Amino acid sequence: MESSSSLSFLLTVPLMGALISLLVPKASQRLYAIFGSVLFLGLTVYETASLLFCKSAEEAARLAIEHRLDWVPDLGLSLSLRLDSVSVWFVVLNALVAVLAFSTRGIWYRKSPGLFTGLGFFLLFALNAAFLSNDLIAFYLAYESVFIPMIFMVGIWGVRQKAASVFRFFLMSFFGSILMLVSIFYLVREGAVSGAGYSSHLSDLIRVASGLGPERSAWVFLGFFLAFAIKVPLVPFHGWLKDVYTNAPVPATIWMSAILSKLGVFGMIRFVVPMFQGVILEHQAVLLSLAAISVVYAAFLAIRSSSPKTLLAYSSISHLGFVMMGVFSMKQAGASAAILLSAGHTLASGLLFFLLAQVEERQEGLDLNTAHGLAGRYPVLFTTMFLAVLASVSLPGTMNFAGEFLVLLEAYPSSALWTAVAGAGVVLGAVYMLRFYQQLGLGSPGSSGNGASGSAEAAGTGDLSGLDLILVIGLMGMILAGGFQTAIFLKGN
Amino acid sequence: MTLDLVPLTPWLVLCAGILITMMVSVVRVETRRPAQVFTLLTLAATLISALSSVAAEPVTLFGGAFEASALTRVTLALLSGLGILFVVGTSDYLTREKLHYSDYYHLLLILILGAGVLVSSRDLVAAFIALEVMSLPAYTLAGFRRNDSRSNEAAIKYFILGGAIGAVFLLGTSFLFGSTGSTNLGAIQAWSRSSGGPDALFRVGQVLVIASFLFKVAAAPFHFWKPDVYEGAPVPVTGIMATIVTSGAFLFLVRLAHLPEWSDPAWAQNLAEMKLVFRLAAGASLVIGSAVMITQKNLKRMMAYSSITHSGYLLLGLLGTLEHPEQIQSVLVYLVGYSLMSTGVFVLLSLSQAPGDSGVELVDVTGLMKRSPALTFLWAVFLFSMAGMPLTIGFFAKYFVFLSSISGGEVALVVLAALCTVVSAYAYLRPVALMVMREADPGAAVWDARYKSQIVVVLAAAAVLFLGTMPNAMIHYLKWIPLIR
Repeated sequence: MESSSSLSFLLTVPLMGALISLLVPKASQRLYAIFGSVLFLGLTVYETASLLFCKSAEEAARLAIEHRLDWVPDLGLSLSLRLDSVSVWFVVLNALVAVLAFSTRGIWYRKSPGLFTGLGFFLLFALNAAFLSNDLIAFYLAYESVFIPMIFMVGIWGVRQKAASVFRFFLMSFFGSILMLVSIFYLVREGAVSGAGYSSHLSDLIRVASGLGPERSAWVFLGFFLAFAIKVPLVPFHGWLKDVYTNAPVPATIWMSAILSKLGVFGMIRFVVPMFQGVILEHQAVLLSLAAISVVYAAFLAIRSSSPKTLLAYSSISHLGFVMMGVFSMKQAGASAAILLSAGHTLASGLLFFLLAQVEERQEGLDLNTAHGLAGRYPVLFTTMFLAVLASVSLPGTMNFAGEFLVLLEAYPSSALWTAVAGAGVVLGAVYMLRFYQQLGLGSPGSSGNGASGSAEAAGTGDLSGLDLILVIGLMGMILAGGFQTAIFLKGN
Repeated sequence: MTLDLVPLTPWLVLCAGILITMMVSVVRVETRRPAQVFTLLTLAATLISALSSVAAEPVTLFGGAFEASALTRVTLALLSGLGILFVVGTSDYLTREKLHYSDYYHLLLILILGAGVLVSSRDLVAAFIALEVMSLPAYTLAGFRRNDSRSNEAAIKYFILGGAIGAVFLLGTSFLFGSTGSTNLGAIQAWSRSSGGPDALFRVGQVLVIASFLFKVAAAPFHFWKPDVYEGAPVPVTGIMATIVTSGAFLFLVRLAHLPEWSDPAWAQNLAEMKLVFRLAAGASLVIGSAVMITQKNLKRMMAYSSITHSGYLLLGLLGTLEHPEQIQSVLVYLVGYSLMSTGVFVLLSLSQAPGDSGVELVDVTGLMKRSPALTFLWAVFLFSMAGMPLTIGFFAKYFVFLSSISGGEVALVVLAALCTVVSAYAYLRPVALMVMREADPGAAVWDARYKSQIVVVLAAAAVLFLGTMPNAMIHYLKWIPLIR
């Protein structure tokens, strides 16, 4: 693995993809996007394979590469990229999610499709930039850039009150991230005052943060914490999520739930935990309680929700509560488990939103909220959906199970109470996910379908087949493989 | 005493250019093309001569009343550059609105001269003259739509309030003269080193002169004139006020903020007082500007409140300079960035053929995406930059003033500013949302992108994006510019 080339291609290829999409004719945009993203996924896996599949911490540490490029030397700003056993997972998942999102069908491929693929590739670029950044200002820039394609995607192809929901999404996230920016500035300035010159490199800021003293570092921590807690989201900060998940076009929803939420997880693991160990340990009970409450509260919201999309949105919050629990356990193994579970959630939730979109597409004009009995009509689609549901409820054998189990195991010594509360969430998860499947798939079909069945058949969209099926089976395979091969996640980081 | 005029070259070029332009337009009365061409030539010559002499040894002339240094030269270059952009970018508008008179160019040139000399002034009396040279054309230009009562109202309001505030400045000057025995900034500084602290007379004078310039940059609580004047004045003039007048006035405000030698311990108390003044002005500007901005339906009026918040951000940068004069770079970067995006916004506004005199309402931008994707993209670039989104110069502008202010110890104020950024982001993104998400309203104005205006907007957008991704291109040159106290 050549160090610089393998890092820069992760950024340059998506950017090129975005530029080329301007030239591709309208009719072949979908093909181009799928082909391009699959190619990029292959390239990413190929280039990072040795790091991805190595099994020991020492080997991973040896294979980690860092690449530092001066960007604004007059300010000590660098484009520091780091690919190690943490970021490699997010980078690969990012490429995978792009394939999934581009494989959807819908209005975004009919109404200005060039813009859609362009924004999609730009999003891929911005997310990769965020996951690779080892410099906080550069990270912040990438983190904020992610909003730009997201706002446009929801704005152009969204439905219902898209404007209101995208504003709420943007403003709440921006509120958090701008406070994070102030925190970063504060650390940068402290570093400059101590005589080291301006630098926002992670290693410098860790040093600065460790010398802050408990009270000041708690305030600085709060800035970071709010940003990521809103992004994930943890429960009191989840107000933006439901509307934007349900009103966004499907690919945007897939992106948001599968990978944008992981920005928060990544930010916590990569930046916040190393910088603020003292603060987190001091307030560990509060943080764990927030995570556990997220698990349970969101699970109740999911049980209560009437629409399948809303249910999936809330289940996302619930599962990410587990992930945050792993992060706040402040153990190496806990963080590894959090990454494992993140990967599992990315796959399962991406898959569920994707399959739901497949159903929606076949049943245009049908209200998903009242639909039922569709399994008989689309047996293959619903079999795969059932498997995805099982992954989502953490059936043993899936990576979600391994992740949740390890998270609870690691969090237990820190707080038995909140571990127990979160543990109850596992059961609640089974309740709402099975109900989700039962409502949509089982029962007698038709009553509310009113003629939709005929038109769907006429439109030629039958059961899941072809590329979609291959994609879905591939993802299922990964969920299972990850469940059995947990060692590659747990090599320590 | 012989006077060496060489350091004055850029300013003299501008003066000569003004005279030539005026004479040329008298000779050829029937057309404005000569005035336009000579204005461009004058501004280009000023720009070139200012930039080419930027590394020259800083000197003061006229008994210490005039400073020719890197800071003042770069500012003059910035002002002339903005002048060029406005002349090219808005001539279509002037023709369409039948406002295309040679006088417009004369007034613009004189205004730029006033602003350029104001920044170079190191004497309060000289500064007053420069201030009037800058302001009188601004009043006139605000009323340039002679048959429009709102434009007249804007001019009168601006003139009366501006005149009154000029008197306040003079009053302050006389107090300062009474206390220090001089109106020269260098002499006042020298006095401060030996005086052992301010007396009551000095403090009153100091507050009066600073307040009068807070009025000029429309920082709260002296902002009430701005929305009406902005709304009433013709679009190009509003743009000129937002960029050229603000830049000139703000840089002189930085000088006024450095009246005494702050590092002297005898002035610690006065420094704390002044910090409080600027802190309050900055906080109030940010809160009032961003809170009121989100309620506006008229884009020009919204931009007026937006510029009030930008004065607040500039004051953040200024607060950092009080103890760390090298932070003047944050103010410069902000002025350059803000001027670029304002130029873009106001030239874009001049492209709308909104009916009547009301200017562009939010409704006029609905569905612009369908009608003109290119214009929508340009709007998005400038508005995202105003909101401080990454990859635009707006982000780095904010980056600098925040960092400058944090080095001045103003953490709480920066948190407040950050929250105001979120509020104003809503106002900036709303027009973009309307362009992208809504179908065109039946009453929406027609947007007419002409060739000349297009060049300017595209250039400004390219600069906003380029400097947003490669800020070093600018910072590297602005970094070494010292603030001579």
